[in-house]
Amino acid sequence: MTPNTDDRIASVIRALNEVILPHLPPEASLALEQGQLAIGHLQILRAQLDHVPAFEAEELADAKAIGTELAGGVTGGKATAGAIATLHAAVIASLPAGDAPAARKQRQAIHDAIEALVRAVAVDGDAAGKSALHGIILTMELARSQKDRKWFAPFGFDTI
Amino acid sequence: MATTALTRPSADTEMEAVYARILNRRRDNRLLPPYRAAKNEDVVDLLTRYFVAEQPGATVSAVRRVGGGASKEQFFFTLTTPDGNAEQFVLRMDPREAITETDRRREFEILEAIRSTVPAPRPRWLDADGAHFGQPAVIMDVVRGVTKPSDAGIKVSGLGTFLGADLRAKLRDQFLDYLVAIHGFDWRNAHLPSYEIPDADPKQAARWTFNYWRDLWRVDEGETRPIMALAEQWLADNQPDTGDLTMTHGDYRTGNYLFDEDTGKITALLDWELARVGDFHEDLGWTLMQIFGCWEDGKFRASDLFGREEFITEYERRSGRTVNRETLHYYDVMASWKCYIITAANGMAAARNEHNHQDVLLTFLATADAMFADDLCRLLAREPRA
Repeated sequence: MTPNTDDRIASVIRALNEVILPHLPPEASLALEQGQLAIGHLQILRAQLDHVPAFEAEELADAKAIGTELAGGVTGGKATAGAIATLHAAVIASLPAGDAPAARKQRQAIHDAIEALVRAVAVDGDAAGKSALHGIILTMELARSQKDRKWFAPFGFDTI
Repeated sequence: MATTALTRPSADTEMEAVYARILNRRRDNRLLPPYRAAKNEDVVDLLTRYFVAEQPGATVSAVRRVGGGASKEQFFFTLTTPDGNAEQFVLRMDPREAITETDRRREFEILEAIRSTVPAPRPRWLDADGAHFGQPAVIMDVVRGVTKPSDAGIKVSGLGTFLGADLRAKLRDQFLDYLVAIHGFDWRNAHLPSYEIPDADPKQAARWTFNYWRDLWRVDEGETRPIMALAEQWLADNQPDTGDLTMTHGDYRTGNYLFDEDTGKITALLDWELARVGDFHEDLGWTLMQIFGCWEDGKFRASDLFGREEFITEYERRSGRTVNRETLHYYDVMASWKCYIITAANGMAAARNEHNHQDVLLTFLATADAMFADDLCRLLAREPRA
């Protein structure tokens, strides 16, 4: 396809940088700040664009992995068992191939189910279940957050 | 628009009345149309009409927007009275939704009360409910100074400011002494009618903070992730006692004070909007956040001023208080949890609803939430309590 997405974003950046911002008066401080941020944001989006599908696929895979671990490792009473069943259903839900919005929705459904499981375990989880919940979430979320930090490092807040 | 009351049946949902109102306002405002950044000419008109009543015969001039910051719309202006006296002020105005939703009346009260204790801008006029300005607003005296060195380069919202050795040496004692002074402030004898005191039981201070931020997360429909769910449950289960209720600033860090770049003298402490009577450990946990500090040669300095242990021991020495490490750990966790809520839920909701004057800044800031998730993993791994 011509023009490709990268060329289109690059042209927007160039227009902002070389045509629009230089013509803003110095007193238009908010417009200048927002323009610079827009350029920075677009530059990062441009660099990440080709990697977004793989990143989001990995996000979903990680959500399924932690959901599977929790569904198999956490024990407790009736509330916990019910939350595990909901989580299991969210993990195994089938997804049309290449449907990015559906993938994001499934990832969020798994995370919502994990949140419900955390609350249920607080109600009637047993000691082993609480320990498993804590250990699995900390271990797997640490790995996930490291990936997220690298992904967002270009924004300049992080020292990773 | 009708205000829908939150269901507040128990200690699980209790909080200061002003914060319950803020949550209601936040929820009700979601359906309002997009917010447009105020234009200079509109602000000139608003101010001119305001001072017709407040200062008859005075004229408004030199209106210009204040740069930086992530929360409020701010404008410098000059007010000239009929006798020719010209003074500069700053108008601080809420957008329709902010990354931190707060109350201008409380800000006005604490500024008026505390500026005899620490340097802070003098508040002059208040439009608490936005009757005149359309949005809640406060007008304050202008204090000279900068929030970062002029050679610090462009950083978003003053986060992670690098001060350098010379300024660090000049600022660090003042920074810590003023924090000690805030915590020693005699709030019991101050005129702070909007502030409620969490003294019903020892856990009420922690509970009020937790309840507000948890409900704010839900009002703004934060997209949850497992570590946030675990952190919320941990914070609910481990609320510490507060032994000594103190005034807290709520956002005490480099970037939120003005200083004279030549002398290194702090001229004003800013951004009092999150101030409350609570637990001083809450301020310490916030100040020690990594995102507000600097790393150099593998060593961390909070606000680029103190190493973590140095900050804690110096605080103890100067304040005479004992820092309870378990309580500090609780507020370390809470600080990262709050930052995640601010960036991932509050800022994103404001941008999503087109209710802020700098949406692109808010979505830019949201990318920091991965750091806070990482902080939570490390902090909760340190002490795996129930």
